[in-house]
Amino acid sequence: MHEFALVLAGILLAGAPLVLATLGETITEKAGVINLSLDGTMLLSAMAAFALASATGSPWTGALGGMAVGAAVAAVLGLTNIYFGQSQLAVGFILTLLCRDLAYFLGHAYSRQPGPTFGYWGIPGLSDTPVLDALLGRQSPVVSMSLAAIVLCWWWMYKTSGGMRLRAVGESPRAAFGRGIRVRLSRLMACLAGGALVGLAGAAYSLAVKPGWGRPQGCEGAGWIALAIVIFGGWHPVRAAIGAYFFATLQVSGIYLQDLFPSVPAQVFQVAPFPMMIVTLLAVNLGRMSFVQDMMRRYPILKRFSGSWPITSPAALGQDFDPKKGL
Amino acid sequence: MIVLNEISKRYGRVRANDSIGLTLEPGRIYALVGENGAGKSTLMRILAGHTVPDSGTITVHGQSHSRLTPALAASLGVGMLYQDPLDFPALQVWENFRLGGTSRTRAQVVDKLGELSNHLGVCFLPDEPIASMTVGERQLLELLRLLDLGATTLILDEPTTGITPEQKRNLFGLLTRLAREENHTVVLVTHKLSEALEMADAIFVMRQGRLTARLSTPCGEDELVRLMFGEAVERAGEIPAVASPGNRRLGLEAATFAGPKYHLGPLNLSAAPGEMIGLAGLDGSGQELFLRGLCGLDRLAEGSLLLDGRTFASNDFKTLHKAGVHFVPADRMSQALFPDLSIREHILLAFPGQAGRLEDFRREQCEERFNLRAHPDTPAKSLSGGNQQRLLLSLIPENAPLLLMEHPTRGLDAGSARQVWEHLRERCRTGATLFFFSPDLDEVMEHSHRVLVFYDRMLVADVPRAQATVETLGALMAGKNPEAWNAA
Amino acid sequence: MPRNLWLERILWILAAPLLALALTVLVALPSGAPPLETLRILVLGGLGSMTKFGQVLTVFVPLMLCSAGLLIPFTARLWNIGIEGQVVLGAIFCTGTLMPVDQGGPWHIALALAAGMLGGALWALLAGVLKTWGRVHEIFSGLGLNFVAMGLTIWLIFGPWKRPGVASMSGTAPFDPSLWLDRMGRLASSWTALALACAGLALVAWLLLRTQWGLGLKAVGQNPKAARLFDLSPRRRMLQAFALCGALGGLAGAVQVLGVYHRLLPSISSGYGYTALLVGMMASFRILPVPFICFFFAVLNVGSIQLPLQLNLDSSLSGVIQGLMVLSVFITQGLRSWLIRRREGC
Repeated sequence: MHEFALVLAGILLAGAPLVLATLGETITEKAGVINLSLDGTMLLSAMAAFALASATGSPWTGALGGMAVGAAVAAVLGLTNIYFGQSQLAVGFILTLLCRDLAYFLGHAYSRQPGPTFGYWGIPGLSDTPVLDALLGRQSPVVSMSLAAIVLCWWWMYKTSGGMRLRAVGESPRAAFGRGIRVRLSRLMACLAGGALVGLAGAAYSLAVKPGWGRPQGCEGAGWIALAIVIFGGWHPVRAAIGAYFFATLQVSGIYLQDLFPSVPAQVFQVAPFPMMIVTLLAVNLGRMSFVQDMMRRYPILKRFSGSWPITSPAALGQDFDPKKGL
Repeated sequence: MIVLNEISKRYGRVRANDSIGLTLEPGRIYALVGENGAGKSTLMRILAGHTVPDSGTITVHGQSHSRLTPALAASLGVGMLYQDPLDFPALQVWENFRLGGTSRTRAQVVDKLGELSNHLGVCFLPDEPIASMTVGERQLLELLRLLDLGATTLILDEPTTGITPEQKRNLFGLLTRLAREENHTVVLVTHKLSEALEMADAIFVMRQGRLTARLSTPCGEDELVRLMFGEAVERAGEIPAVASPGNRRLGLEAATFAGPKYHLGPLNLSAAPGEMIGLAGLDGSGQELFLRGLCGLDRLAEGSLLLDGRTFASNDFKTLHKAGVHFVPADRMSQALFPDLSIREHILLAFPGQAGRLEDFRREQCEERFNLRAHPDTPAKSLSGGNQQRLLLSLIPENAPLLLMEHPTRGLDAGSARQVWEHLRERCRTGATLFFFSPDLDEVMEHSHRVLVFYDRMLVADVPRAQATVETLGALMAGKNPEAWNAA
Repeated sequence: MPRNLWLERILWILAAPLLALALTVLVALPSGAPPLETLRILVLGGLGSMTKFGQVLTVFVPLMLCSAGLLIPFTARLWNIGIEGQVVLGAIFCTGTLMPVDQGGPWHIALALAAGMLGGALWALLAGVLKTWGRVHEIFSGLGLNFVAMGLTIWLIFGPWKRPGVASMSGTAPFDPSLWLDRMGRLASSWTALALACAGLALVAWLLLRTQWGLGLKAVGQNPKAARLFDLSPRRRMLQAFALCGALGGLAGAVQVLGVYHRLLPSISSGYGYTALLVGMMASFRILPVPFICFFFAVLNVGSIQLPLQLNLDSSLSGVIQGLMVLSVFITQGLRSWLIRRREGC
């Protein structure tokens, strides 16, 4: 029982940065902008957070620095796309590569150096129940941050007027503009907020989940998985978080599988989430394929499954908006 | 009182509005008429703050503005209702009502919505997503929202497109009450003269970007037509008779079409060469899937399709295309043309066999037959709506037996529309069979030998020309007594 | 007036490299790199001697093959990010073909090159099928398949194809010199490889600009729905575009194996696929600028190898400069259109 709790605790920890990054991207995409640069942004902010934490000795300062870097990268994307009208996919991809190389270049001096980490936070009074104690009693602060972020993100998005405006802008920027909402500013803000969360995810890697900096850091590729989880999560923060934990489980189980097959090199298991990512996206789209629809018509019971995980993207996702052109 | 003074707006070389001045007084209903592209919508968008004019002033309650923003216009009491409601389909009713309005909690919104609905005799479920409502209901919700914002000047852009005759009666009743009892100003933008004459106290006529007349009702329809079009348009003559009604060009036998969202069928139907068959139905009633299924864009799940004696168990697009089935969608630029490719490249793509004598072929096809006088290197996106439709029609081979057209005159001016219809009639006279859909019932009735009516994703009636009146078709489109008509 | 316009246009063209230079200095400062010295090492490291020029050519060839290939799917507005994995699969297929052979000649080499193309094309088709039939966006499928290809290489090197004795990250056992591509005298590059790269670009240019197929592909990219109505078989054409691009990427991988490393390495693609995407974006996916940008990027790549040795800087600076250059192009383009619209708006 205790061992099981430890595995769960491992999943919570491994999932924390994925959750943060996924939530960040969900916010950005909910406003209609795709920030493709996640993978690079996370690496750069992981480096910045570690460097700053080493310099100041405080992981919290480091995390703030990581968030600032994440927001700054998102600002570049936001300005070039929202105000200058350049392709979001192109700029996002350039930023992915640029930030990755920038992280390696600037982080050169911090490579393989010891530095501060977040350590553990205790929620006191849990020692009587060993399972809860293992899950939350002695966990990294990033776990509590990620859990809090899920709730906050959901609450903000669906229970506040700011969140309603965010969804409106991603759903129909024309209609939002017609109602006096400042579409481009809202989108830029969503980019910045999302970027900051992605930056925090990067910091969570270099200060807690995979402490330290180096080339490779170990979080390479996580950004792409987070991007796929956003789709899997149907642009809903809670479902996105479930998706993130699903992939974290996959990563954790890779470690156990490695013990079972010692002859297979470790790198092969690290690759496992990626085919899973493709299969997941395929499954998400399955319901829209014609032969599946035929099956559903013939056997109505199948419809129940398809309805239980609705996937609808924000209607204006990826569409640029220019108020000058009018409605 | 609102005064527009010397308003001008250009789009490239086109003068959409050419120094227009008009005055709107409270408590009155105005109609702004003119054919497509006359500049009506541009003028109203300027008044609603959605478009910035090049010059001129807008004076509201004595205060002059050189331009308005949506927020400013709203605060001055101007609210605009678009032809496609400008709302958020994925969001719920109460969220749609709340967005852009005063800061309220959900409970307050629900209360306010209930109060307004009661007052106007309508009903909304606050948690329903807008996507599941009809266009008419969405329009009403928008209207309530504008009234709640304190709108005293209501602009309605082609409000009767895509709603049933019954919904239209309710809407007009409501607008009359608002003007007469609550002293609101109502502006109805329309190209339908009957509506203008029925509703308005005064009619503004626009033509080619200019305001050509202001008439007080009652006035003669003939005079109005003359002002709108410059000369009297001859109504197209009687439609050609079907040469051999016994022949079977197209047959559907227990056919079910499977679209991405729903299924349509089983359908049993036959059509003769030379027949012009109109489709009537509100958006999403099934006529879209019917046309897409006939040309093979959506799958034939069950049953069979007969074309000129050949039976097809599956409706492969390629095979049907080779057999001469041609589909022209309503949204030409986003579904049928390549924006950056030239006229010449379009022809080359449609007739690869003519690559050797492309230039001659283009001249025959576009200029001689269709009077499409644009330079062959013009990209499709720079063509006018009429020229886009001419290009698309010229891409259909001369002997194509089955034409499927979705709103063939969408966005065209009267002249181009007439040319399109003359061309389509000519094709039917020489043996082609035409299925077409139009949201304009008058157009459907004018050009069909019979009308297929769709309601709730079903073919509910097959009405011959003699019985096809606005009342019958309107009732059928709204789902009233389809039993009286034996659905084929 | 026209003179002023010319001046303005030239200024805008210059703006992008200047911005890139300024940004590079800005990001290089915190690492304590002396700007001029760094630049000198980058350029001389790439062009300082014939040997180095030869190395530049060895980078230029795969980069150009990939960039030329990417022009094809991009004409259909497809982002073949999977090119990286297609290079790797080309290398794997090429190595696999020559594994059973101890010695050989030109025919073996030709066969291995063809196998490489096949491998790349198949891997690209996988992404293509996922896109056209499974509706998985090619960015995700391509990227996922890149990682899978990497895992596959490592598994092969440590498993079935491991070097006799001990398996290591240094790759499979090297091939017999009779299976190597020819050399340009004493330079690292090969005439065959260079000729293949040029032929690849010429083929792509001909396909896209001169054939009905290319026009159809352009149409598919502009509006897939309309392409369906024109009976252009958009799905089939997209798959063909993927396959052709993959074949060129696979060829690049095979050239890496036969001409440069003479064996399969874990990082056989050296990231050329990603760099080629940058090349394509910088050229706005027009054909003419592609060879020049490829050459310039190749110089940067080779020059940066010297950085860790001489200045204790990370070699990823070349990637930083490349990224900043492409980003600057986008920023200046955007800034320009923004200013023009502002002027018109007033």
